[in-house]
Amino acid sequence: MSGDSPAASEDKPEDPGLAEIFFPHGKELRTMGLTAFVLVLFPWLFTEAPVVSGFLQGYHPLASLILIWGIFAFGFDILLGYTGLLSFGHAAFWGGAAYAAGIFSDMYLGQPLVMVGFGILVGVLLSWVIGFISLRRGGIYFAILTLAFGQMMFYLSAAPLGDITGGENGFTGVSVEPLLGMFDLGAELPFVGEFIGTWLYGFVAITTLVALALAYRILQSPYGIVFKAIRENEERAEFVGLNVWRYKLMSFIISGGFAGLAGGLYAIHQQYVPLSSLNWTVSGDIVIMTVLGGAGSLFGPLFGAALYKYIQNIISGMGELVIPFTDIVLIHDFGVYWHLLLGVVFVVIVWAAPDGIWGMIQSVRDKVNDVLGRTKDGDS
Amino acid sequence: MGILETHNLVKNFGGLTATDNVNIEIERGERVSIIGPNGAGKSTLVNLITRMLDPSEGDILFKGESIVNKDPHEVVQMGVSKSFQTASIFPELSVLENAEIAALAAERGSFNIDFLRHRDSLHSVHHLAEETLENVGLAGQADIPAEDLPYGDKRRLELGVALAAEPDLLLMDEPTAGMSPEETESTVDLIEEVKEELDLTFVLIEHDMEIIFDISDRIIVLNRGEVIARGTPDEIQGDPAVQEAYLGGVEL
Repeated sequence: MSGDSPAASEDKPEDPGLAEIFFPHGKELRTMGLTAFVLVLFPWLFTEAPVVSGFLQGYHPLASLILIWGIFAFGFDILLGYTGLLSFGHAAFWGGAAYAAGIFSDMYLGQPLVMVGFGILVGVLLSWVIGFISLRRGGIYFAILTLAFGQMMFYLSAAPLGDITGGENGFTGVSVEPLLGMFDLGAELPFVGEFIGTWLYGFVAITTLVALALAYRILQSPYGIVFKAIRENEERAEFVGLNVWRYKLMSFIISGGFAGLAGGLYAIHQQYVPLSSLNWTVSGDIVIMTVLGGAGSLFGPLFGAALYKYIQNIISGMGELVIPFTDIVLIHDFGVYWHLLLGVVFVVIVWAAPDGIWGMIQSVRDKVNDVLGRTKDGDS
Repeated sequence: MGILETHNLVKNFGGLTATDNVNIEIERGERVSIIGPNGAGKSTLVNLITRMLDPSEGDILFKGESIVNKDPHEVVQMGVSKSFQTASIFPELSVLENAEIAALAAERGSFNIDFLRHRDSLHSVHHLAEETLENVGLAGQADIPAEDLPYGDKRRLELGVALAAEPDLLLMDEPTAGMSPEETESTVDLIEEVKEELDLTFVLIEHDMEIIFDISDRIIVLNRGEVIARGTPDEIQGDPAVQEAYLGGVEL
């Protein structure tokens, strides 16, 4: 269309130099800086801080486990929240990558970086194949197909491949070497160990930061907007000339890659791969975490994973529910009801705050900004 | 040779023949309207051309090339755009983002491996998106969610999205359906304007007789899947077969 075009903006070169790719744009640097700060503070707040940690009763391994599930969850959200595709088979990529990384460490090399890299590779390849077939169908059929593939993997590793995977017992031969051959993951970090914890947490936290930066960039790339276009109106996206099928497959593969990364970390974290990591319940859990945290946001699913893992690991171990600062016992054996509590939390959040925890955080922030008379900050 | 030709095009749905041996030829730069009573097969014909439906028999040529084995997005990339009967937009995205999606497809093709590329570095896409909004008069509403636009503006946005690709051929399925008289008038003006500027070929499906006779160079009349008449607005107005089928014999 003819409009008087400012020549300057058209003459800029469009070929992506490496600088264009690696240099931060816009708010990326600030957002990632803030995230790094939170990741450094998190274990201390969770386990050591006065008052807060006493209330939370957190412990170190859970802090890193939360981040690992968080990676799985925000990667899954690229598919669920941004592209609008509900997969019920992501256990295949999480568990598949965990097994792959574990078996790789036993047979070849237990280098954590290599294990994680192998996990990503397996996640990508598996999601490529499973996505290629499942995405031929939409809606509920897509969900069922992914579920079927996930369960296929589960039964495969339970019996036919039992010699390799350890069958019902899970894979017990994971042998993790020190990071870069120097740092034992179980050892405390030098100088800041008291504050942050072990090398394992450091490794997981840095991986989380890199994965978040990558996901953040993907959402700011053309893919981010195309995924949302497919979610909003798939037919229209096709009719503006976009190859919807290939973008959907890419979304599936990207989320599979993040699931693979998380699965690899999980094998390192547990030094064991349970058969249940391939079970369909994992696929369900990741949907719940994502929705709890806020589907369609990058950071929300991290909070969803944290809440889920917190209830599963801490609340479940609680004895009596006591009214704070009194001795009045409300419920005995409170921990037994953790599934029920999770269900209630899920229902309340979906009902009262459909945008999840992240939606609540955002609306509080908007209100604060309103009170302070500032303009709305369009961060997402 | 016309820009668009169909050869003996047939579409059967079970026992029903929705498109029956249709041969049409659209010349470059023409404004052609397809009219016909309800169920005449107008939308089916458009859906065949845009590759939403597979024809049962026959061939469709665009710029001399057969498109029956192509996907819809490939046909769009070749230069055929479609404006939908309802305002088909991306409701939760901003008006500007709507235009950006169209601009992205127009400037960078149907698929790219560029997921590490920040959108801020795609200058030509931003430029085209802004230009698109200016052309349909929505530059002032760039930042509001598309779903908050009044209906007429949604249709204008939709038209903008269809035009961002700078198509050679635009198929419009009832562009003024559901619009107020004022909105209809401004949309017709917009169509005229765009036609002048872009040297576009139009195929229009429309019920509003006034619009059809105003802006068509040529009219094709369908009834029960068949072409029963074709000609200039004047010829069509006087055609007894058309009056019989479409107007129920009533004098215009």
